[in-house]
Amino acid sequence: MKFRAKIADAACLNHFTRVSCMVAKLARTCTLRIRPHALNFILADPAGGGVSMWCELPQENFFSEFQMEGVSEDNNAIYVELAAENLSRALKTAQNARALKVKLTNKHFPCLTVSIELVSVSSSSRMVTHDIPVKVIPRKLWRNLQEPTVPDADVSIYLPVLKTMKSVVEKMKNISNQLIIEANLNGDLNLKIESELVCVTTHFKDLGEVQVDIRKFLQFLAGQQVNPTRGVCNIVSHKMVHFDLLHEDVSLQYFIPALS
Amino acid sequence: MLKCGMSGSQVKVFGKAIQALSRISDELWLDPSEKGLALRSVNSCRSAYGCVLFSPVFFQHYQWSTSVDMNNGTKSNLNCKLGIKSILPIFRCLNSLERNVEVCKIFTRSDKCKVVIQLFCRHGIKKTHNVCFQESQPLQVIFEKNTCSNTLMIQPRVLAEAIVLFTSSQEEVTLAVTPLEVCIKSSTEESMDLNSSVYSEMFVGPHEFEFFQIGVDTEITFCCKELKGMLIFSEATHAPITMHFDFPGKPMALNIDHMLLEANFVLATLADEPSRASSPQSLCLSQKRKRSDLPCSNSKVGKKDSKGMESISRKVAPRKLYADEILSNISALENSGSPIMKRVNSDTEEEPGSPSLRKCKAKNNLMEVMPKSYFCISDIEHLPPLSKKPGFGVG
Repeated sequence: MKFRAKIADAACLNHFTRVSCMVAKLARTCTLRIRPHALNFILADPAGGGVSMWCELPQENFFSEFQMEGVSEDNNAIYVELAAENLSRALKTAQNARALKVKLTNKHFPCLTVSIELVSVSSSSRMVTHDIPVKVIPRKLWRNLQEPTVPDADVSIYLPVLKTMKSVVEKMKNISNQLIIEANLNGDLNLKIESELVCVTTHFKDLGEVQVDIRKFLQFLAGQQVNPTRGVCNIVSHKMVHFDLLHEDVSLQYFIPALS
Repeated sequence: MLKCGMSGSQVKVFGKAIQALSRISDELWLDPSEKGLALRSVNSCRSAYGCVLFSPVFFQHYQWSTSVDMNNGTKSNLNCKLGIKSILPIFRCLNSLERNVEVCKIFTRSDKCKVVIQLFCRHGIKKTHNVCFQESQPLQVIFEKNTCSNTLMIQPRVLAEAIVLFTSSQEEVTLAVTPLEVCIKSSTEESMDLNSSVYSEMFVGPHEFEFFQIGVDTEITFCCKELKGMLIFSEATHAPITMHFDFPGKPMALNIDHMLLEANFVLATLADEPSRASSPQSLCLSQKRKRSDLPCSNSKVGKKDSKGMESISRKVAPRKLYADEILSNISALENSGSPIMKRVNSDTEEEPGSPSLRKCKAKNNLMEVMPKSYFCISDIEHLPPLSKKPGFGVG
């Protein structure tokens, strides 16, 4: 198994850092899948609340150099598990980097080694290395980490500006644990909470119902730092909500199951 | 007796000194003398010491005097120990203090064991804080910087960039130097496994230092937290930090020398594994053997098994981690007597027994692996007075 890649452009590095920070906000450990044409951040948690996330980064949008060799010829992929925060923190130290290289290494145990060439004030280079411990995921567990199918939704609508939704939901969190998301085909979206004393509804416009855990929804919104080019919300009535966000060069899908 | 005053911008520097020392310990000594006002702090494990000395010209006005004991006519200094929790909140929000405070006056009232801090702010606002102090003779660490083989002087910003690489969960940092380069890295432990944190390292070339003198290739490991304290303070003074160090086990000194003030932090470093078998290590051991007739042997340094180390550390009393330094109080120096710790009102002090070990939970790593033969306060009494050589004196 081999993997080495290099990011030479500051904007790409910045974007990659932001994506990894977003993943770090959603979960403690995540799976990184490396294939010849793309990187994926995957969160599969069927046992827990069932929240799962799928994020795909086409590699040419980020890396100036990219080489990988998977487990075998027919299974040309690498699946590793790591603490998402370790990666985001290591990337954050590369603010003024001239170049960033990442590769899979084995120093006492498998690591994702991030080497950064920093430009110091005196315009000389300084080398920084981070060895992030990872766990290689064996092939037999790969089944659980495949791209989820987009469900046939009852309603599919575009999302309003995420920041607005986030501030609304943050205030709602104090009143109730459950959030009702309603949407209809007219392009209306409602976020509703009900408690004994009060019922608060925010209209983004109207109908089609699913109840979800408000904290999961908030966690998802909190992780979004950039407004996507296009965000779609699919609701399967009483079953789940599926968010599909498309940024310029990254696509993110997020599933929140309904509370029964 | 102390009476001094400073302006708004001086208050900011003074406050930064207190913040830096708060990283070392929960207690602070206010120690005025003819050299100026010194703020001193020692942590409970005795593995870190900090002192910031403000010279009289730093202040707008500065007066101090010894008080004479009515009964026997002996002179005594202001022996004033303050809790950091009482004094730190006064110097919060230093930027707004700098803008709003016109004059800050600090004076003592020894009749009531109080320090009064008055902030005269804009718009006629006057804030008065009466802080009670405990009578306690300050500790002073004497460390001869000129005998260290390695000296580095660096702008604080470069060090700050390095320190940011290390997470708060990583307590210790290793500094590895050769004449060609300096490497700051996470300290590796024997039992690194999957759940260990990220290992990071950063190389800095000699040209980034203002002064670079490496006599001995070495790797020293010390606690990150106290270094951060020193960095906070140096950024406020815009002065470079000088590091003096030698072989592992010997404490390192961080020093800021400025016209108006001087800051010294002395940090214990982890002693080396014996597998190195380099001569500095054996020198260290033999010196200790001469001094200490403590029952514990130095063979504990050799234990590679971290479990073994843990069980050893529980049996021993907490160690004070200074090698060849004289840990003394100022009056002992004046009498040029033995370095026995003297305290006034000793019933209010904690005994250097197990209570301080409890406080050192965070420093367990450092405590476990350091050789036992550093002094405990109580053990000093059994030892003959140390000679003034081998050349240790504060710079």
